[in-house]
Amino acid sequence: MIQNPTSIVINNRQGLLSMPLARSFVTVVLSTLLLLIICAILAPSSISFGALKGSLPFAAIIAIVGLGQLLVVQHGGFDLSLPGSVSLAVVVSTHYPQQNDALLYQAVLLAIAFALVAGFINGLLVSVFRLNAIIATIGVNALLYAGVFATSGGVPSITTNLLAEIAGGESLGIPNAVFFAIAATALVSFTLKKTVAGRRFETIGASPLAGRAAGLNVRVHQMMAYVFAQLLYCMAGILIAGITREPTAFQGDSLLLPSVAVVVLGGTSLLGGRGFPISTVIAAFFLNQLSQFALSVGVPYSAQTIIQALALGFGIGVYSLRWTVNLKKTTGTKIVEERK
Amino acid sequence: MKRLKLTRPLTISVGALVAALGCADFAKAETPSWCGPKKASLALLDGYGGNSWRQVTTASGKQVVDQCPSITKYEYADGQGDTQKAISDIKGMAAKGIDALVVFGDAGPAVLPAITSVYKSGKVIVPYRVAVGGKEGTNYSKFIGSSFENDGVTWGKWIKTVLPKGGKLLFLSGPAGNSQGLDELKGLKSVLGSEYVFVNPQPFDVTNWDPALTQKVLTAEIAKNDKIDVIISDFGPSLVGALPAFTKQGKSIPAIATSDGNSLGCFWQENQAKNPDFKLFTVATGNDNVRLAVQWAIALATGGEKPKEEIFKADAFEDSVSGKPNPVQCRKDLPGAIYLSSKLSPEDQVKATSR
Repeated sequence: MIQNPTSIVINNRQGLLSMPLARSFVTVVLSTLLLLIICAILAPSSISFGALKGSLPFAAIIAIVGLGQLLVVQHGGFDLSLPGSVSLAVVVSTHYPQQNDALLYQAVLLAIAFALVAGFINGLLVSVFRLNAIIATIGVNALLYAGVFATSGGVPSITTNLLAEIAGGESLGIPNAVFFAIAATALVSFTLKKTVAGRRFETIGASPLAGRAAGLNVRVHQMMAYVFAQLLYCMAGILIAGITREPTAFQGDSLLLPSVAVVVLGGTSLLGGRGFPISTVIAAFFLNQLSQFALSVGVPYSAQTIIQALALGFGIGVYSLRWTVNLKKTTGTKIVEERK
Repeated sequence: MKRLKLTRPLTISVGALVAALGCADFAKAETPSWCGPKKASLALLDGYGGNSWRQVTTASGKQVVDQCPSITKYEYADGQGDTQKAISDIKGMAAKGIDALVVFGDAGPAVLPAITSVYKSGKVIVPYRVAVGGKEGTNYSKFIGSSFENDGVTWGKWIKTVLPKGGKLLFLSGPAGNSQGLDELKGLKSVLGSEYVFVNPQPFDVTNWDPALTQKVLTAEIAKNDKIDVIISDFGPSLVGALPAFTKQGKSIPAIATSDGNSLGCFWQENQAKNPDFKLFTVATGNDNVRLAVQWAIALATGGEKPKEEIFKADAFEDSVSGKPNPVQCRKDLPGAIYLSSKLSPEDQVKATSR
């Protein structure tokens, strides 16, 4: 499928779309299409309308936390406070209202306030006090979990009807969570790629030193990566609280690895720099569909795990391969350079 | 041990309150036979204490301890799902001089060396519910298991009454390979013949008892199987969020055999009219397993009379078809995460689980 990637990219570029397509985008789209074809052959039920409707909300959540992680990875960091942050948003939006719709908006505001505080602490520790991002965010994660226990005592609570309707409901036959994910993607994408602040953000991520030399405020931009990441985690947490009728107090735990996986699958370098929000979101769909596929094949759990690992290895392997080929041909990283 | 038999939801609160108050008075008035004259200290060690089921269980254990005046000191430790911590908790409690330890060995055989070393140092140690391997008298004082196979048999018998000609069954349990799920399956298979087909991958669909994962798994199973006649799950409340997936795919929620939970009972009451196939059968979720374990530990440590029972058997609790032993119960005024089958009164459960 990826035998001759360069030509695919060039065709695309000269065809329908007038802007150059990122390599990562083409790779992740092709991988996803391949997966869908395999699904259609081996486990058609996994792409049936009903199954998609049931699984898309979870893909949307991975996409949203992936976008948050993307912002931090763009600055060469890792945000390990994601589990605490998502779990805190979940318990605040279920425990505070105690199934009273009227209190929901207050709960949401409270969750956002917590997210802002956590984001600023992360940002301060990393950008001002120059702590290693992994260490700083692990610490903040512990603090956030303290908040989770203080709010919930570790006990799940049933969500409010209003939130279940908003986050778990459907509009035009499509789960609402998908619309939230699309909105988040559009916002992140537009801000990163089309606004001055976004361009500065990416520049500083690629090279803080160059950014500083150009007179940009490196600290503020780095801090904002953590703050916006927290806001996205908070959004994901509130959505989980609506999608799952009785979410546990540890719902964020299972999202940390997928969040990093989709950023990597989306083609963003873990060293920082250019980010690919749309590819990240498609990778989230890929990852989710992969687990749905593994479930639908109906093989034992051990085999399901192996299928997922192999497919992930394949996804990442495709990158390394293409990357090496590219390096041999050009020194640059952009497809555009290979055009002629 | 006598089980509360209540027939009407309305009478539960009153009945349970009276029972609880009665128990408390009883404890003051008369010491139970398993509570001997020797003074002792006791610790309850949880491998993982972070959900309402565990909190209700812990509070139940505490209630039993309170009935025995010979227990001079009571401690609790939560392993937080961390095997290392669970091991150091066990050793730490023994080092602190606690005489009797009751252990929920979530990590299974991994905690056996710690349990054995405490036993060898002359303490009373009673692991319960989760099998940790080893032998009574060599590795620990007494193991109080729960008969999960019995649960499987109870479910199997009910399935035969609602689906006499056989059909398609879906069995969901917790983490991969957990012994509870395997035992339940053994019980189910001992009752159900080959006309009952399990549509899940063998031995069961893995859900980790996580509502979000349960939702994903169930969605995939509904899409894959045109017809599912009965769902069997060993943790009813985690099913609740996933069940609307049937309605979303234009199907009726099928019959369900599971363990009880207030949120599940309420969900049934709200949805049974719209879902003609939705029958519900539950066994008691087994919070009271800890009571027997604590009674044994106290009896051994204080020189009291040993309880007669050595294994905990969960009774059937609700049946929406026959209404026996109870019709489906729901207390809308109380949180979803409490268990009306528990001997601990609903009000005490709210106290135990709310912060």
